[in-house]
Amino acid sequence: MSGTIQMSINGITVTARPGQTILEAATEAGIQIPTLCHHPALKPIGACRVCLVEVKGQRTLQPACTFPVSDKLEVQTESPKVVEARRFVLELLFSERNHFCMFCEMSGDCELQSLGYRYGLDHWMYPTYTKRFPVDATRDYFLMDHNRCVLCRRCVRACSELVANHTLDLRQRGAHSMISSDLNVPFGDSSCVSCGTCLQVCPTGALVDKRSAYMARDKDTVHTKSTCSQCSLGCGIDIVTRGGLLLRIQGDWQGAVNGGVVCARGRFEPLYETRTRIATPLLRDEGDLREVSWSIALHEAARRLRDAAPKKLGVLVSSRLTNEALYLLAALFRDGLKARTAGLLEKVAPPISAKAQGSLADIEKSDCLLLVGADPAADQPVASFLIKRSVDKGARLIVVGDETHGLSAFATTLVPPAGLASALERVQRADYPVVVYGAGIDEKARAALKKLDSRARFVALQPGVNTRAAVAFGFEQTLKVSGLDVLLVAAGEQDMDGQAVIEKIPDATYLIVLASYHSGLTEKADVVLPVATWPERSGSLTSTDGLVLKAHKAVDPAGEAKADWEVVSLIAEKLDRKAGASLEEISAEALRTLA
Amino acid sequence: MGKVTIATDWLAACAGCHMSLLDIDERIVPLLELVEFTSSPVTDLKHPPKEGVTVGILTGAVSNTYNLEVARMMRERCTILIAVGDCATFGGIVAMRNLAGTEACLRRAYLETESTVDGIIPSHPDIGTPLEHVTGVGEVVKVDLFIPGCPPRADALFYALSELLAGRTPVVLPPEHFTYD
Repeated sequence: MSGTIQMSINGITVTARPGQTILEAATEAGIQIPTLCHHPALKPIGACRVCLVEVKGQRTLQPACTFPVSDKLEVQTESPKVVEARRFVLELLFSERNHFCMFCEMSGDCELQSLGYRYGLDHWMYPTYTKRFPVDATRDYFLMDHNRCVLCRRCVRACSELVANHTLDLRQRGAHSMISSDLNVPFGDSSCVSCGTCLQVCPTGALVDKRSAYMARDKDTVHTKSTCSQCSLGCGIDIVTRGGLLLRIQGDWQGAVNGGVVCARGRFEPLYETRTRIATPLLRDEGDLREVSWSIALHEAARRLRDAAPKKLGVLVSSRLTNEALYLLAALFRDGLKARTAGLLEKVAPPISAKAQGSLADIEKSDCLLLVGADPAADQPVASFLIKRSVDKGARLIVVGDETHGLSAFATTLVPPAGLASALERVQRADYPVVVYGAGIDEKARAALKKLDSRARFVALQPGVNTRAAVAFGFEQTLKVSGLDVLLVAAGEQDMDGQAVIEKIPDATYLIVLASYHSGLTEKADVVLPVATWPERSGSLTSTDGLVLKAHKAVDPAGEAKADWEVVSLIAEKLDRKAGASLEEISAEALRTLA
Repeated sequence: MGKVTIATDWLAACAGCHMSLLDIDERIVPLLELVEFTSSPVTDLKHPPKEGVTVGILTGAVSNTYNLEVARMMRERCTILIAVGDCATFGGIVAMRNLAGTEACLRRAYLETESTVDGIIPSHPDIGTPLEHVTGVGEVVKVDLFIPGCPPRADALFYALSELLAGRTPVVLPPEHFTYD
C-alpha cells in the first residue's frame, strides 16, 4: 500500500496514510476523539469503547483507535448516536466500581472524570457498585486500588511492551476481572521491578504514588524537563514540584534515550534519600569540623591549593559530577596546577574496538545479544528493558554470569565466564550481533571480544553516571593518593561510605571535599564544600552513548549548597584561574573539549 | 403571582449540601423575595406541606427505610425534584457501605468498636431499618435534575434555582457548574 487516502470526518475531507487508524487520522487533522484505554506509547486494543465512532457502511459503531482508514471512508465522531453510545459506556464504567471523585487522589487529573464532565454524566441508571476489590499496597513506592480500575490494560501493556517484564496481566472474567501480577501474588512479591511505568500511564486513581499522593493536582505543579542523574543512560525525566517541594519524577515521553520509560532507581529511589545532607561549608578547627562561611572555606581551600607543589597535589573526581564541573576540574588541576594525580573514583568500561561505539538503539535491532561484565537490571535498568524488548522480538540473549545475574531469567543461554569462547562462536553467526558490556570485563575477556570486531557492535554500559565525560577530560582510573600534601575529592552525591580510597588517604594530607552528603570521607576532611544534588543544579551530562544531555534545576539547593561547577569555579577564581563567567560559557567550553 | 415554594430535606447526608445552599451568601436576600422555603431539616417545619411545593430538593443517599419514606413523600409533594450532591445522585460516600455490607457495618459500628461494652444494634419501629444496598435518589423516585458535587458549589445551586425561576429546567448543568468533587 502506498500513496494517500482521502476520507471524511464529520463532513471534513481529511488526508490520511494507509495503515493509520481513524484516531490517528483524526488527531493529525485536529479533530479530537475522546479516548480512555488508548495511550500514544502503547499499541491500541479497543478495550474501553469510549472512542466509538460512526463509520458509514458499518453495522455497528467502531472503535476509532483500532479501525484502519481506507479510501472514501465517512466517519462521524460526535453524532447523536455516538454521543449516546459514549454516555452509555461511561455509565457502565462509572457504575461498575468506586469511581467517586471526592475522595480520589486523581480527581482533577483523571481521564475518566474528564470524560464524565465532557459528556455531562450526572447520574447513571445501573445499580451502584457493590463488589469490593482489594487494595494492594505491597509495593514500596506505589499502591493499587483495584476499586478504581477501569480495566483499560494500559498498565498491562506498558509492563509488556515498554518494560518487557510481563509481570502484569488480567485474571478472572467479566465484572470480576482484575489486574494481577505473575500467578496471582501480591505485587510486592511478584517479578515487578517497580519501574512505575504502569503508574505513569494509569488514567484513573487506581495506581497511586505513595509519596506524592494528595499533594497537588497537576495544574498546581511545575514540570521541569531534565536528565536523570542516577546512571549513565541519560534518560529524559520530568521533575514535578510544587512550591519548591519535590513531588515526583516522571519519564519524559520525548526522552531520546528512554522514550518515557524510567526505572525505580530513576523514578523513586532519589526521592527516598536517607543520607544526611551537608548544608553549609565546614572547616576543621582544633580537630572538629565547624560551620564557616563560603568565603572562609574557599579562602582556606585556595590557600592550601596554591601552596601545594604540583607533585604533592592531587584531585579525585566522582562520575556523578556534571560535564561543567569535570571540565573545570580538569582545566584547573591538570592544565593549571599540573597536579600529579587526576583520578576517577569509579571503574570504567574500556573501549574494545577502535571503531565507533555502538549505541543503545542497536540493542533493539539486534538478533543476538551478548551481555558480559555488566548487570543492567541492577545498574542501568532501562538498558535491561531495551534488552528484554529485543528478546521479546526474538533476539537471543547470551548472558555471561550465573543465576544471580539480573537478566538470567530472560537469557536464552547462561554461560559462565569460562564459557565465553563458545558463546562468541554463536554470536559470530548472528546477523546483527551486539555486545553489551560493562566495567566487569577483565583483560582476557576484552581480548576475546576483540575477535568479534569485524562483526559485532559494542555497546558500553558505563558504571558511573558521567564516566564518559570524566574519561574524555583525562581523569584516569588511578587512586594514587600516597605522599600527597593536598588532595581535593569532588565526590558530589557519590556514596563514599566504606570506599577503600578513604583508608588510603594519609592523615597528613590536607583533604578538601566537595560533597552533598556526610560520609566517612567528610569525617576525614579538613574543608568540606557543600554541593547541590541532582534536582538542585543545572548542567549537562554525557551519556554512555556519548550524548550530551541537559539537566535543569527544579528546586533550590539545601542550605548554602551550590552546584558542583559553581563550587569549582569559585575555587578557580580564588586561584586567579577563572574559566567562564556563566554556566552557558562553561558548558560551551566543556562541549568543545568533549567533541 | 405568589412566591415559588421550595422544600428541602436530607436523607443519609452530611449536611454539606445544605451548607452549600447557605453559601450563596447575600444572594439569598433577593432570592427570598421570589421564593419561600416552606420546610427544611433546619426549620421548625420538617416536611413539605401536604398541599405541595413547586421545587423539592433532596440531598444524601437512600440508606434506610426512613430515607425511602422521605424521598417518596418529597416526590409526591413537589413538581420538580432536584437531587443535590454526589450522595443523592450516585450514592456517594454513603455507598461505600455497599463494599462491606450492611450487616458487617452495623456489627462493626455497634458491637465491635473498641470502646463498646455490651453493645446492641439499634432496632425500633420509630427508626428506619438500614437497606441492603445504598443507592442514589434516582433509583427510588424519578428525579428531574441532578446536581452532582461534593458538595455542589453554591454558584451551581444558585444557577439552578435562577434557571428554574426563569421558567427553564436545565437538563444537565453547564460545565462551569458541573463537578464531581
